[in-house]
Formats: sequence, C-alpha cells, structure tokens
Amino acid sequence: MTLGMVPSVLDPSLYIPELRTRNRQAVLADLVDLAHRAGVVREPSLLIELLALRERLGGTAIGKGVAMPHARSLTVIRPQVLVARSHPGVDWDAPDEMPATLILLTLTPGDWSEEAHHGLLGRTAAVARLQRNRQRLLEAESFADIAGVLRVVDP
Amino acid sequence: MTVLARLVRLGDVDLLLHEARDEPSRVRLRKLGFQLGELQGLEAARATLAAAVAPRWLAIYERARHRYGVGVVPVRERVCQGCFVTLPTSAASRPETQGAPGLCECCGRVLFLGSGPER
Repeated sequence: MTLGMVPSVLDPSLYIPELRTRNRQAVLADLVDLAHRAGVVREPSLLIELLALRERLGGTAIGKGVAMPHARSLTVIRPQVLVARSHPGVDWDAPDEMPATLILLTLTPGDWSEEAHHGLLGRTAAVARLQRNRQRLLEAESFADIAGVLRVVDP
Repeated sequence: MTVLARLVRLGDVDLLLHEARDEPSRVRLRKLGFQLGELQGLEAARATLAAAVAPRWLAIYERARHRYGVGVVPVRERVCQGCFVTLPTSAASRPETQGAPGLCECCGRVLFLGSGPER
C-alpha cells in the first residue's frame, strides 16, 4: 500500500520471476491467469483476446528487452502492473529485434480515461527505460526488490 | 458464449478502437515507444464481433454507446459505474451468465457484473 487510501498497482502475487514459456501468447495467458486468480480480472478469456488484438494492432515491445503489453478493459477490476522475467527472452517483435527479458503487463479498468491509462503506462515505461533500473529488475532476488525499483509507478 | 460476453468483447474493442483513432492518444502512445499499425484489422474484428450479437442487444448497446460513449459498464458494490446509481439487489445479483444481460434502469447501459470476486 502507498500512503493514503490508494492501493498499490504492484502485488507480490502478480510476479513471475522466470517464465516457463517463450511464446508471446502463452506469456500473456499465464499473466492473465495470474491476475484472474488474484481477483484483478473477470472473464480472463476475454482479456486474453483483447491483448492479442492489441498486439496485432502494433507491437508493445519498447526495445532494450522490455515489452509492455497493456489493456484498458471492462474485465479489469482494479489497475495493476504485473511483472514477469525471462532470462532467455521472448520474441516480442521489438523494433530493435531484442527478445523481451522483462515483461510489464499494465491493466486498467474500462472506466479509466485514456489519459489515466497512458499515465500509468508512461510511469512504468520511464522506469524501464533506464538501463540501471532494467538491470536491477532482472537481477532482483525478491519481489520487494522489484517493488523498490517500480515504486514510482504507483499513483 | 453468452450475449453479455459478446457485448463485453465488443465494448473492449470499441475502447481500443477509440484509443487507436484518437490522434492525441496515438501521439502519446508513440512517444512511449509503442508501435501503432493500420486500423483495418481491428475494424474488421469489430465488425465480426458486432455481427455475432443478436440485433436486439446490438441496438441496445449502440444506443447507449452513442449516448454515453460506452455501452457496457461494470457494477461495483451494486453501483452502476456509468451513472452511479445504486441498483436494486435483484438487478445487482442476477446471474447474468445464465440469461439475458441486465440493464441499468436509470441510464440503460448494459451491466457487467462478471464472475470475479468483486461484485
């Protein structure tokens, strides 16, 4: 929890330290399943379809080994940033062709404005763009270390 | 797939389409490093989804979407998140997956209670 009554968008149960799959669609399905079990998402199959449509509209890899899939959806109950790592990397059609070693799935409810959704995406991207932050996220041994790097993402 | 699930899918695609068509949104997303391609694929997916919804429900959805911008709204703690009116207990607890979707009696939007833990 951050100060006040605003819940954090980070949750230790929404973290995959090492992905078992190297397939983009399977990664998204694993993350959505995790979010569903944590009570963040209703009707997970609908969200997986939406994320796939977003990927087809244009890749969500921002380069340097970072992918930021995202959705603003009626199926999302509360805003959340899910973190997953893959040390071998997942092919995410990045502009620099680097496989994604760090995957940050950003989910916001459908009644959030586009500006608010982009605000959360922007704060997450700003953290991930710094090389020292990426290194800390990839080398983190616990979720507490991850949350330490990403704490500025919280509203 | 239930009528409601089809409408939620359509609602989500309409949110994405709006974001992808809106120029300030596109600029923001590109500044963040995201790639945005052509919209034809998404528009075709939207047409397919709309065709799969029964005409009566599609008309209800479209009427609400044209009036308010969104045709489906979530329900939280018995409150319609479109107009913020507290719903009658019967409307807020209806097992929507087993029948026709509920409509907000105040604003007419389709209500999405979902199967998640928060109702």
